[in-house]
Amino acid sequence: MEKMLQKIFGYSSFRKGQRETISSILSGNDTVAMLPTGTGKSLCYQLPGYMLEGSVIVVSPLLSLMQDQVDQLMMIGEKRVIAFNSFLSYEEKYRALHQLNEYKFIFTSPEMLKSVSFIERLSKLNIALFVIDEAHCISQWGYDFRPDYLKIGEVRTRLGSPLTLALTATATAEVKQDIKASLAIENSNEFIYSVDRPNIALLVEHVNSSQEKMDVMLDYLRKMKGPGIIYFSSKKMAERTAMVLKEQGFGDVMAYHGGLTQENRKLIQQQFLYGQLDIICATSAFGMGINKDNLRFVIHFHMPMQLESYLQEIGRAGRDGGNSLALLLYAAGDEQLPLQLAEGELLSDIQIDALLHWFSQVPEGWHQLSAYESEVTAIAGLTETNYRLLKSFNDQAVADGQGYDSLLTLKQMMANQYNVKRKKINDMLQWIYSSACRRKKILQYFDEELTIKVDNCCDICGIDVNNFTISNHLEKREVESDWEKLLAEILIN
Amino acid sequence: MRISYTEKVILHCLTKIGNQRTIFSILHLLNGKKTSQTIQDAHLFHLTEFFHLFPRLQRNEFTEIYKRMEKVNIIIEKENLSFKLTNKGQKIINGSSNPLPAYVNGWQYHRYTARFWERLSLLVQVVSQLNKQNQRYIPIQTKKEVHYWLKSLLKQLKWKREDLAKQLFGELSALLGKDESIRPILLVIRLSGYSKIGLTAEQVSDKLRMNEDEYHIHFLNILHYMIQQVEKSRTEFPILQQLILDDDHSFSLLTKSTSKTYQLLQQGLSIDEIAAYRNLKKGTIEDHIVEIALNIQDFTIDKYVSQFNQQQIERASKNVSTKQLKYIRQSVPGANYFEIRLVLAKNGIR
Ligand SMILES: [Zn+2]
Repeated sequence: MEKMLQKIFGYSSFRKGQRETISSILSGNDTVAMLPTGTGKSLCYQLPGYMLEGSVIVVSPLLSLMQDQVDQLMMIGEKRVIAFNSFLSYEEKYRALHQLNEYKFIFTSPEMLKSVSFIERLSKLNIALFVIDEAHCISQWGYDFRPDYLKIGEVRTRLGSPLTLALTATATAEVKQDIKASLAIENSNEFIYSVDRPNIALLVEHVNSSQEKMDVMLDYLRKMKGPGIIYFSSKKMAERTAMVLKEQGFGDVMAYHGGLTQENRKLIQQQFLYGQLDIICATSAFGMGINKDNLRFVIHFHMPMQLESYLQEIGRAGRDGGNSLALLLYAAGDEQLPLQLAEGELLSDIQIDALLHWFSQVPEGWHQLSAYESEVTAIAGLTETNYRLLKSFNDQAVADGQGYDSLLTLKQMMANQYNVKRKKINDMLQWIYSSACRRKKILQYFDEELTIKVDNCCDICGIDVNNFTISNHLEKREVESDWEKLLAEILIN
Repeated sequence: MRISYTEKVILHCLTKIGNQRTIFSILHLLNGKKTSQTIQDAHLFHLTEFFHLFPRLQRNEFTEIYKRMEKVNIIIEKENLSFKLTNKGQKIINGSSNPLPAYVNGWQYHRYTARFWERLSLLVQVVSQLNKQNQRYIPIQTKKEVHYWLKSLLKQLKWKREDLAKQLFGELSALLGKDESIRPILLVIRLSGYSKIGLTAEQVSDKLRMNEDEYHIHFLNILHYMIQQVEKSRTEFPILQQLILDDDHSFSLLTKSTSKTYQLLQQGLSIDEIAAYRNLKKGTIEDHIVEIALNIQDFTIDKYVSQFNQQQIERASKNVSTKQLKYIRQSVPGANYFEIRLVLAKNGIR
């Protein structure tokens, strides 16, 4: 195994949990692995992919994440890899579908798994390993529940119950149970590792206004060693702050969010990886899937919606093991934004009533919802997320032979989900206001105990800021102005 | 009074179009809208270079720009949404000629510009990495078709990997050095290779303190220059000429759907037959024919418009100083709109 690791990936040793997980898979056991962010989860299916015969299918919830994983494999020279998702054009899809057996790694989304022809082709493959990434999305108790994930279990059965690996970074006991039940892998091996990352110091700063927040952050940035990421909950704030930082001379700074073109997204990611950028102002929607080892800080300008995603995001810091800082800035009332977001993601009672009324007038719409998408969206004022949720519910209900009046049960479902989300936000808030050790609190939340003594633990335990600061000021990099020299540098030197 | 680069571009178009069209016809032109009206206008008013220069310019952004110009009294509304330059506007524009650099030609190159850049940037990156014998990198372009293209190109080229980099460097520096008025740095700074990742357009305009739109046009200028020069002397650029070759031969001036119609016309089918065969509306096929007349020099329209009507329409379009179809229609009652558009299209490129 070590030989393969060295040969294919160029690593000399495994990180915590990887060897155990991979051994379990190679001995033919279904496996659930919970490895903290930043410890190389994807290696757990990449390496077995090379040691087992047949294809590896990876179900992944986010399109951007999928592309990052494809890139990672391309980077080690793997050409037999494809992201089978809605980004593909009709022709590309057609071509890919007919040569599916030529791919070693097939990444796909839960939505795609609804396609009959795709499942048909998949079932003809020799499947070495079936991987569910971000498996916590299966659980209603998970912080990122996606109804589409519920059907993965069914798909797995249709594919002849292949060897399965469920991966997640954070899962409470309830979530773990849901994952196993939904995938019908109750007898799987389980590898659970602590979510704690002792080399990341945890800081919360309470401020009184958004102006003060900006000032406090600038103060930190003046002292802190980069590179780092600042997370925002809106694209606008990410862009505006990037502008401010550029003006104030914080070296090379860029905003990174879903509104960028594919090409610019690539360039900015790569510039960051190559050390050409110092700070990225990002929205949380985009995981910086590309491994950058030497991130020194992660700042949250807005509070995340739950501790789980907070951990994922700060987990991108300090992968090299070096001292790193996670700073969360909180102004009273900041929780209003996540509460609104949570509400907006779900269907309100008013929307459901409007839908019920509409379907009573147009009953055939229930059985061919897609054909009425724009109409339904307009009458109930649905966002894209809202519609996807409705569609997913509708698919299931129609398959079960239920009529539109089953929408009444959706009301209860929505209320439950809203309560889950509100509770998560509340947990996050309590953590922010906590007067006990922040690390201990996080571990408690995941039913763990703090067993080691961590230096520079958190703002409550006390931190020696000198461990994280440097005095040298960041300068913008000069650009080469001689085009021939630059061209030569790029191409032949 | 200072005006922005985009405003200069819009004002220039307005001097040509005047109040014969609404101001939004300029937006459609800059967006490169593929309707026969816009394509025809581009030719009639001699604004073909401007076609598709700002494909992402939004209606609300455009509205903001022209409203501002109206407010500061550079342009004035003549009738419903059609505008003219004021004296003040005239004065501003008189000082400056055509705002476009020499090689920009939107109509001629818009269909291959994006692809040319995708191919060039990927080629440079891959060759640079090959030269360093490095396989671990992330390709800067994601489109599968660009990757397929590059893969088959690399198979076909006979150079060894270290010579390949030298050859490509030689071709690029010869091409870009031939006319330094194009400011090659504006393109080179965007390229990625083994040791460096290229900048985004926003970063370049920021670092070089250029207006973003102006930078965008200068970037296009270089690409159009490259395409034009390589087309002219293919043998000089054995690698670069591959960038403008096409696998499906659609490097032609027609859109895909129109090429199909053109093929069927050449097989002798009538408009109605083609409409039925392709399951398209008759009007759509007529739009195709207008597009063909605009682009294919030796396409004859005699089959669709009688000689008599052709002459009548030509005369009417000269007499009526405006080029609005309905005035021509009034003076040539025997011709329909399709016939008028077709004749104007044919004349537009003369
Ligand atoms: Zn502590």
